[in-house]
Amino acid sequence: MTQTEARPSTERDANGHKYVGKPAARMEGPAKVTGRTIYADDMKLPHMLHAKILGSPYAHARIKSINTQKARLLPGVEAVITAADLPKYKKNPTNRRSIVFPDTEALFAGQPIAAVLASDPHVAEAALALIELDLEALPNVIDPMEAMKDGSPLVHSSLSGIDRSEEQGHVAVDLESGNQEGKASNIASTTPFKRGDVEAGFAEADVIIERSWRSAMVHQSYIEPHSTIADYADGELSVWTSTQAPFYIREELATALDIPESKVRVTATEVGGGFGGKIYLSELMVSLLAMVVRRPVKYIMSRGEDMVAATPAPFAQVDLKTGMKKDGTITAIKSQLVYDSGAYPGASVAAGALLIGGLYRCANLDIVGYEVLTNKASVGALRAPSAHNATYAIECHIDMMAKELGLDPIEVRLKNAVVEGDPLPSGQAYPAIGLAECIRAMSESNLWKGRAASKQHKNRGVGVAVGGWMGGLQPASAIVTMNPDATFNVTVGCADITGVNTTFQSITAEVLNIPREQITVTYGDTKTAPYAGMSAGSKTTYTVGRAVKLAAEDARRQIFEVAATRLEATPDELEIEDEAVRVIGDAEKSIALTRIGRWTTNFGARYPVVVGRGSITATKMAPGFTCQAAEVEVDTDTGEITLLNYAIAQDCGFAINPLSVEGQMQGGVSQGLGIALWEEMQYNSEGQLLNANLLDYRLPTARDLPKIETIIVEVASEEGPFGARIVGEPSIVPGAAAVANAVADAIGVFINEVPITPERVLRALGKIGNGTN
Amino acid sequence: MPKQIINLRLNGKPTEVAVEPSWTLLETVREALGYTGAKEGCGTGDCGACSMIVDGRLITSCLMLAPQADGREVTSIEGLAANGTLNPVQQAFIDTGGVQCGFCTPGMVMAATALLKANPKPTFEDIRNGLAGNLCRCTGYTKIFQAVELAAERMATK
Repeated sequence: MTQTEARPSTERDANGHKYVGKPAARMEGPAKVTGRTIYADDMKLPHMLHAKILGSPYAHARIKSINTQKARLLPGVEAVITAADLPKYKKNPTNRRSIVFPDTEALFAGQPIAAVLASDPHVAEAALALIELDLEALPNVIDPMEAMKDGSPLVHSSLSGIDRSEEQGHVAVDLESGNQEGKASNIASTTPFKRGDVEAGFAEADVIIERSWRSAMVHQSYIEPHSTIADYADGELSVWTSTQAPFYIREELATALDIPESKVRVTATEVGGGFGGKIYLSELMVSLLAMVVRRPVKYIMSRGEDMVAATPAPFAQVDLKTGMKKDGTITAIKSQLVYDSGAYPGASVAAGALLIGGLYRCANLDIVGYEVLTNKASVGALRAPSAHNATYAIECHIDMMAKELGLDPIEVRLKNAVVEGDPLPSGQAYPAIGLAECIRAMSESNLWKGRAASKQHKNRGVGVAVGGWMGGLQPASAIVTMNPDATFNVTVGCADITGVNTTFQSITAEVLNIPREQITVTYGDTKTAPYAGMSAGSKTTYTVGRAVKLAAEDARRQIFEVAATRLEATPDELEIEDEAVRVIGDAEKSIALTRIGRWTTNFGARYPVVVGRGSITATKMAPGFTCQAAEVEVDTDTGEITLLNYAIAQDCGFAINPLSVEGQMQGGVSQGLGIALWEEMQYNSEGQLLNANLLDYRLPTARDLPKIETIIVEVASEEGPFGARIVGEPSIVPGAAAVANAVADAIGVFINEVPITPERVLRALGKIGNGTN
Repeated sequence: MPKQIINLRLNGKPTEVAVEPSWTLLETVREALGYTGAKEGCGTGDCGACSMIVDGRLITSCLMLAPQADGREVTSIEGLAANGTLNPVQQAFIDTGGVQCGFCTPGMVMAATALLKANPKPTFEDIRNGLAGNLCRCTGYTKIFQAVELAAERMATK
């Protein structure tokens, strides 16, 4: 069992590293364990109002009239605001974030249609019940398979001008999606990938498996609900919000409100969990409310609102047909993937379609992905958006085919796993990747090695699956400033959602060879920091980390230039050691860093202030792969599954902070296990969410999970700092497949719908229902 | 609504506060008394982010009404670090990486502290059961389990 513990770094390791590659405690850890960290809901501004939102009671409704008079008269209510009360702003009918309150039609149950503002949130809440809505329920469509059919009620009458900017923050693949222009349909986009001739491929196969796989709509379920405060004064809009994407929000708000970006300040407050779900949601609404009342406005979603009206992750049905030869060669992959995007486009179908044909070498592909609209909350990203749905299908097929042919599940994966140079379904070639290395590492895990012993127990099984994610690419920048006392401040524009600040601290410490404690990080504020892309697509260390490294190197160069004049040496003859600049190999010739700090800041200073600058654009993706294994025990009387052990091997390129990397791996695993076993947003036929709370929407608890065996694999990326590559997202991807394969190993049946609930197990065993699931 | 005065000991200090009878202990401590360490993750007692210790018992403060806390001893996360020194549980959470986004952390630390007070040598099953009422979405619990084990070990050797 891996147990990593933070400890101070003093010694250089075999790679010559002193700070990177060493477990580092979170720099904000003491504030977090004492409750001093300030989240958006912990902030109060003078004269601030609380917003409460009235959502549509129907999944699809025409808004005929809204009478707010009684609500306005409730003592303590400052304003009741509907679409008619908002100033003009730029709307895009297919972009949910740009529709604050719909003018004529609500497209999902819970869609905001009016706000009440009051100093006392209880008063605002009470006033919601006094708003009189005159709505006409319209025909709705809830099931995406129905929504695809001709003649289904339409969610949108027109689908032109779909904005894909948010999705592109998560994954840097060409989204070759075209919607069917001209023809009214609920299909928002279609992504086809073709290679070779699948029929010829199936003709060569010794085994063909054809099945349909369904994975439920799930929720990111960050423990902090969406939280936003906005204030508009003197022509400047200030927004404090729990977001992964401050610069993205700045751009969106400036565009929607037609004000310059320089007049919009977005501060990413501490994010109490995001997982792709906290990019941009209520910020325009809260900004407009603040503009109407000219007072600061705070909006904290209740858990129920967040479940009903945030941006969950899509249900998908993946129809898959695959063929394999006796020697394990995969001959053809044919698939139709249908993703339920909810009421607005946004499901990353291209990513799913790309991955289903992108894990293994296969000469013949025929893949088509559909993004389908329904009258439900529109979806957003959840950690490697759309990847798990597709991976569940293909990874179960690999096991099913291997089983038919008597092949070892590890060997068959190794034989086919993509390596550097292999083409993605899009034609793009893979850079250096570590999929095969992860599979080999898993075959050496305690869990996998204990497989034979596990089989001694009835109804126990072990399953394996792989997964990956391409990662996003966006430009990034950083500034490293030297203080007079020779401490340093790193300034970056990204939000810290995974401990990246501590990683930046380690990178800066390594470059400057000074203790981590002498480095602070300022972050997430669009007014004070240079640009960074969104903290999504697993790319923050990969891109911003690279900029930080460059900025620290720039600062070091400036320090050496100052020192060189005093030490009668050239800058490249210098090094930093023991908090002093010295001539390499001559400890006698040195200057304390504090002296340089003073020489560059004092009155009459002879040297310029040390301000290092790092600025990059990222063009080369650094995909991350993982191989995971589960050991389960199935109670064939109750259908209950107990997770006995779980292991993950993941390629992170280089673990700058192993503590954080393991945390990302284990956290993603638990979310993948939630998808596998427990989590499912259940809608009724009228589009009402039935389990909008954390009791009935079942997250993994401490009782459910074992300690996760965690194996870091390092295959260096080309561009990442110290070889680091993407880390955050791949870990969620194969959980559903690994568990399904383990269950099949235990009871002999592959269950083709996740979560694998006791009911689905019993159906699969023929103990209830009609014997199918 | 008319307010009523309640008296409680909050983090060891006698505290008087005027509350509406419908206020929860959580909003009283956060909004009226300004200790914002405890979090509201669900408001229905499911996530445990609002956990506090009342008269030695771990409770979800979003489900306790303020008047119910009248005359009682309440400890919030702000009450754990005596004189600025982290308690062993807090330190262990930092050292093992049991802290990620931090939103569940105050409640999780309260739960772990209550667990180790009642059961200084918990088995792995005891730890899993002791933390079962506190949801963490970031860590997958592995590093939290390790934090509780480490804290127990350090407290035993003290």
